[in-house]
Amino acid sequence: NTDNEPRTGQWEDALTLVALHQDKAAYAELFRYFAPRLRAFGIKMFGNEQQAMEMVQDAMLNVWRKARLFDASRGCASTWIFTIARNVRFDMLRKKQSRKDDISADDLWFDGDYPEQESNSSDSWDTMLMSEKLAPHFDALPPAQRMVMQKVYLEEKSHQEVSDELAIPLGTVKSRIRLALDRLREALDDTRS
Amino acid sequence: MTHAVKFHPGLMLLEQYVEGSLSADVALAVSAHIDLCPHCQQLSKDITNDQAAVLAEQDVSGRDAEQEWQQMLNFITSQPTISSSASTHTDTAPQVASVSVNGRTFEIPRALARLAEKQNKWLHLGGIATAKLPTADKQHVSLLYIDKGTEVPNHTHLGLEMTLVLAGKIVDENGEYGVGDLLINSPDDTHTPRTLADEDCLCLSVLSAPLKFNKGLTRLLNPLQQFFY
Ligand SMILES: [Zn+2]
Ligand SMILES: [Zn+2]
Repeated sequence: NTDNEPRTGQWEDALTLVALHQDKAAYAELFRYFAPRLRAFGIKMFGNEQQAMEMVQDAMLNVWRKARLFDASRGCASTWIFTIARNVRFDMLRKKQSRKDDISADDLWFDGDYPEQESNSSDSWDTMLMSEKLAPHFDALPPAQRMVMQKVYLEEKSHQEVSDELAIPLGTVKSRIRLALDRLREALDDTRS
Repeated sequence: MTHAVKFHPGLMLLEQYVEGSLSADVALAVSAHIDLCPHCQQLSKDITNDQAAVLAEQDVSGRDAEQEWQQMLNFITSQPTISSSASTHTDTAPQVASVSVNGRTFEIPRALARLAEKQNKWLHLGGIATAKLPTADKQHVSLLYIDKGTEVPNHTHLGLEMTLVLAGKIVDENGEYGVGDLLINSPDDTHTPRTLADEDCLCLSVLSAPLKFNKGLTRLLNPLQQFFY
């Protein structure tokens, strides 16, 4: 049953079992879901099947070996697996072209938490969102972000309801709202490079 | 943060950074900016969540390679996992490193720490000094130090120029840039960056093509071009 809708928390639980007991059945479940998806990502990025499969094997091996390093309180399993694959891919590309004294994935992507900042409230956006000027930009949002915005702001659903309905992690719902707000902000003023 | 960062990479650049599709030198400047910018720290975290969810939501039905997957799965689960004692990953604030030039020592962001340990020696010209960072690219990632009250001669960019302010302040025709600000100049942009009379400046400079200096005698400008690139 590889392609059934994933239940929220399913992959985090599986990773925890792998971390605690080297649970091969839990790992197989993760593998059967993520390996084909990483392969599709790899083909998109490399443009060829062979390198994509090399990346899948390396990334999924890291998931198996380093499961203990996964910390569910810092984010969901799919995000952790995606960043592992992204880093493996980057280092594969660089190794092919260059010396060892090089920019590596470890330089570019910090594997840890930055100090917490006071969250800048998005309250002022509630009124901004009603502005007519925003309407055309709203339509230009990426579909996944527009969907979340529509459910939260037009259908007045809670973040948790949207997470359940779309079968995406709660953190991703919050991320997509912040990204959509930032994209709207960027559309309205142009202080960015 | 004593200084609020005002100049950020655009969303598209951040998305490419998260995806891993930027060239390494440009990604390095973006990464160092993020180390200095809480706003972009949050944004890049959000973009990572978003892209990971897109990856997980993909429809991959249609390809049957059961045997191949089973082989890979067997291989992986026959490998040892790392011991729990090795699981000391960095969950605290990022490390900072420092560089010294002109009798001054500056903190630099985490993203540059490893490369800066291997920086080439400082080359000085007037109040300006550059030190290349050993990236495997075409050697155009460097630290750029500008003493107080110094002007970089007016120049046009033949390629992309990214300048990230690491310490102090720099001013040009378009504005004033402080710690964390990322200036991006496109081909054909012209400017004359300078420091103020009372404050020097350390930057990360990423250049995809040499600068073209606009004043003075051509034979005097060529060495200058070499110096910056
Ligand atoms: Zn920023
Ligand atoms: Zn310039």
